Amino acid sequence: MAALDESYDEEHEGSEDEVEMTAAEALSKLEEAWLNEKFAPDLLETKADLVDCMLEQIQQMEDNLKRCKKGDMRILIHKMEIDRIRFVISSYLRLRLEKIEKFHEEILHRESGRKEEDPLLLSEQELSFAKEYSQSVKEHAKVLVLNHLPQNFQKLDREKTAPKPDLDQHVFLKANRNQDQVLIEPELEDDPSAEVVDLVKDSQYIMRFRPLVPLVTDGAVSLI
Amino acid sequence: MYGDKALELILELKRAAEGSLPPYNEDGIRQVLEETSVLYDQNQADVLRESSMTGAESLLSAVQFRHTCLERNQRCLLAYLHNRLEIIKEMRWEFGSVLPPDIKNNMSEQESQWFNKYSKSLASYMRSLGEEGLDLTQDRKPPKNLFIQVRCLRDFGEFETEDGSMVVLKKNSQHFLLRSQCEPLIRQGILEHILS
Amino acid sequence: MLINDIRLQFYDKIIHKRVLLLVSHDVDALCACKILQALFHCDHIQYTIVAVAGKQDLERAFLEHSEQLEFVVMINCGGNIDLIELLQPEENVVFYICDSHRPIHLNNVFNDSQVKMLVNSGDEFNLPAYEDVIRNEESDEDDSGNESDEPSGKRRRFDEATLERKMEKRRKRREWEQNKERIMYDYDEFSFYGTAASLVMYDLAWKLSKDTNDLLWWAITGLTSQLIAKRIDREKYVSDVTELNRHVSRHNHRGNEDECPLSVNSMKISFVPELQLTLYKHWSLFESLRHSAYTACTLKLWTLKGQKKLNEFLADMGLPLAQSKQKFSAMDVEFKDNVKDWLETSAKKFGLDNISVPSFQVQFGFKHKYCALDVAFAVDALLESVNTSKSAEERFMEALDCLSRTYIDKLEDGLDLCKQQMMGVVNQVQSLLDMKKVVSAGPFLYAFVPDGTPGSKFFSRPNCLMTLGRFTLEAYVKLYNRRKARNLPLVVTAPLDFENGTSLVVGIPPLPELEQASRNFFGKAFEQAAEKTGSRTLHDNFEPSVVIMRTEDRSKFFDALISLLQ
Repeated sequence: MAALDESYDEEHEGSEDEVEMTAAEALSKLEEAWLNEKFAPDLLETKADLVDCMLEQIQQMEDNLKRCKKGDMRILIHKMEIDRIRFVISSYLRLRLEKIEKFHEEILHRESGRKEEDPLLLSEQELSFAKEYSQSVKEHAKVLVLNHLPQNFQKLDREKTAPKPDLDQHVFLKANRNQDQVLIEPELEDDPSAEVVDLVKDSQYIMRFRPLVPLVTDGAVSLI
Repeated sequence: MYGDKALELILELKRAAEGSLPPYNEDGIRQVLEETSVLYDQNQADVLRESSMTGAESLLSAVQFRHTCLERNQRCLLAYLHNRLEIIKEMRWEFGSVLPPDIKNNMSEQESQWFNKYSKSLASYMRSLGEEGLDLTQDRKPPKNLFIQVRCLRDFGEFETEDGSMVVLKKNSQHFLLRSQCEPLIRQGILEHILS
Repeated sequence: MLINDIRLQFYDKIIHKRVLLLVSHDVDALCACKILQALFHCDHIQYTIVAVAGKQDLERAFLEHSEQLEFVVMINCGGNIDLIELLQPEENVVFYICDSHRPIHLNNVFNDSQVKMLVNSGDEFNLPAYEDVIRNEESDEDDSGNESDEPSGKRRRFDEATLERKMEKRRKRREWEQNKERIMYDYDEFSFYGTAASLVMYDLAWKLSKDTNDLLWWAITGLTSQLIAKRIDREKYVSDVTELNRHVSRHNHRGNEDECPLSVNSMKISFVPELQLTLYKHWSLFESLRHSAYTACTLKLWTLKGQKKLNEFLADMGLPLAQSKQKFSAMDVEFKDNVKDWLETSAKKFGLDNISVPSFQVQFGFKHKYCALDVAFAVDALLESVNTSKSAEERFMEALDCLSRTYIDKLEDGLDLCKQQMMGVVNQVQSLLDMKKVVSAGPFLYAFVPDGTPGSKFFSRPNCLMTLGRFTLEAYVKLYNRRKARNLPLVVTAPLDFENGTSLVVGIPPLPELEQASRNFFGKAFEQAAEKTGSRTLHDNFEPSVVIMRTEDRSKFFDALISLLQ
């Protein structure tokens, strides 16, 4: 990222210092979101604002590069940096699309039950993609098979048939801060014998994903 | 009978070479559907008989068995469709919105339609990203170098590079080009990435 | 124009530009190409590589790829032909030529704007003086223009003087023409080879401080291939090896091995005297002795006596026959370790004084250990593979690949191919000698490889046919030991394409020349013979002593050749 900062023309330096810092931060946040998304079995909250921010950043860097002289050593380094950022963004969005396609029924169901104040699960664009996708897949099954089956076999039960993410999968994680009394089995919250764990900052763990959901969301742990 | 044909459909997909789409087995699907309706009719008849006369409880187990077969057939058919869609989806990412004819020929009419729908929604999703859109089918592997060595596997013709100059991609010529520009051509099998 | 400061006058000019690389089909060119590629990768210079097998390829490749390109680099091609005449390039196109073919075409030498020859500053060119070969036409015309301007009255008076002046001028011109012809004849008479292209390129890499062991190994391979193909004599080879050895010790020098051990996977090059036995480390010693030109010809393995001698030789070394027929890698450790010393000692008793040459070997990983001679053989075998499913360009690319460590498997394929090739060559030599097919035509010997023999397909490739030619000539001379034959050259032909009725013809200079300067006069001779008889020949190869000919024209071509060389 240090290289990235240099790309700005000197004339901008004073006024854009602040923005730059947030750009560097945005990138590291995006990288974390990307890794979390990569290792989490379930779809996490959308980070569309980060994506938009970085896309804008890339655009700006590219514009700056156009003004540089040909053969300048820095161009190559910056181009490489742009490529890397773009890869992270694309990979992040691809991972999300993959999950959306796989669990479309479940995710749309959750989305429809989402309350106004809850954080967004899907970005606006993702939502419309998910709807279109879900509709087309259902339509496809209906036209080719379901309509030709006997009456009582024409409907599918979402609860029974739609694929759902396996929240009990184990994941590797790193604690970003000290976190005491993490309930390993939140289903048994009232049970006094329920197992709890103290997460120590910068230590690494392997455990089930389900109890970690809130911790990943608020950034207390990172999946690795 | 009793689910063999449905299983055959699934196996057919499983046996196909990785990354290839076998022809849509319309006949197989029709046979499974026929089997399904025969089973269903038999069940209906037995249920009627069972309710109309007493002492026919023995029919019940047969009815249950047929019902399981029906469920199994339904499941296999849906799995067949689903897995084909997965392959077709993969093709969209590999080849873009225009498929090579040999793959197209193996798709049913409905699948083609579905492909177009999927392609459209994916494209409009990618267009909506950022200000100018972001092509997610690019940048599939983490970038290591800006430039890579590529070899031409078949004649392609002129190719405009980023700085506006022309490169002639002719079979068996080797080039050192921007990775980002070669990626789609590598995926289409026109270029081969050479390691040094 | 000859360029000495390659860095300043070549590399600095093409940096940040797009370059077209035209590379000829030989091992040295491939190695030079690899080195240049590595440099280009460092500096992100975009390039296009096209393989060119001959002049026609060169023309086609230039036409197809030259659009919008200003810089063309040619490796081991283009130096000995008049490029501007052949390619008719736009004025802004500049050719950089790194070609070991000699002599360099004079039009290339004297073209200052568009043709730049990258040469080793130590090479000698014996170039004729500019004014001796290129006449400044303009000044002549100026003179005559002035004359006609003179008033007619005066003219009559000076008539005699003018006439005399004109006569004088004409005489001078004639003298100059004659002189030029003589100079040109001397300059063009022999074709030979200069410093390997890969060495020139390595030198550039070194001056750019971008040389590594990989690059060095390619330079070594390139140089070794020149030795194998007898393109340079032993003296030149040894002096180049000495030069390279300085780099080898610079790159492979480490202090105490225990203190800073290198990772197994890193590349280590070491200088070793190596036996001139084809692929013996990848074959059995027995087979290798039989298939190496030097041992086979000196021991006269074509005769029963010779075969006995081979057994005696092995006995003298103290190597059991069973062990010698064992794969070398599977030989008993005791023998394997000592065989080189024993062989060298025994070789002296059997007249094999020059059995070892200074060379290099490379090692990386646990498994891969190669000596330069074997690698050069293997790469050449891949280039000249007779697998019909592969086009010439595909063979080129394969050979290019096998030089990188990533594609080391391909090198192993090359070693196998090379064995087949050598077996083909030895069988062919044996049958040519047995059937007494090597015939003296007076001023030279000739041999035809008959069509349809099992190995004949190997000889449709120029290098392999030349190997056969040299092998045959040496075997013949040593076998018959006739004084007259010692100084005779050899012409070999082999069927190239039966359906089109074409043959490949190569000329091998007499043995003494071959051992010294490797000068070859057949290029010019073939050209003249073809011209005189109107034979349908194609002088497409960059090596002028290789031509393609209509098989039916063979006898008249040979008649002309005989009268020419008498």
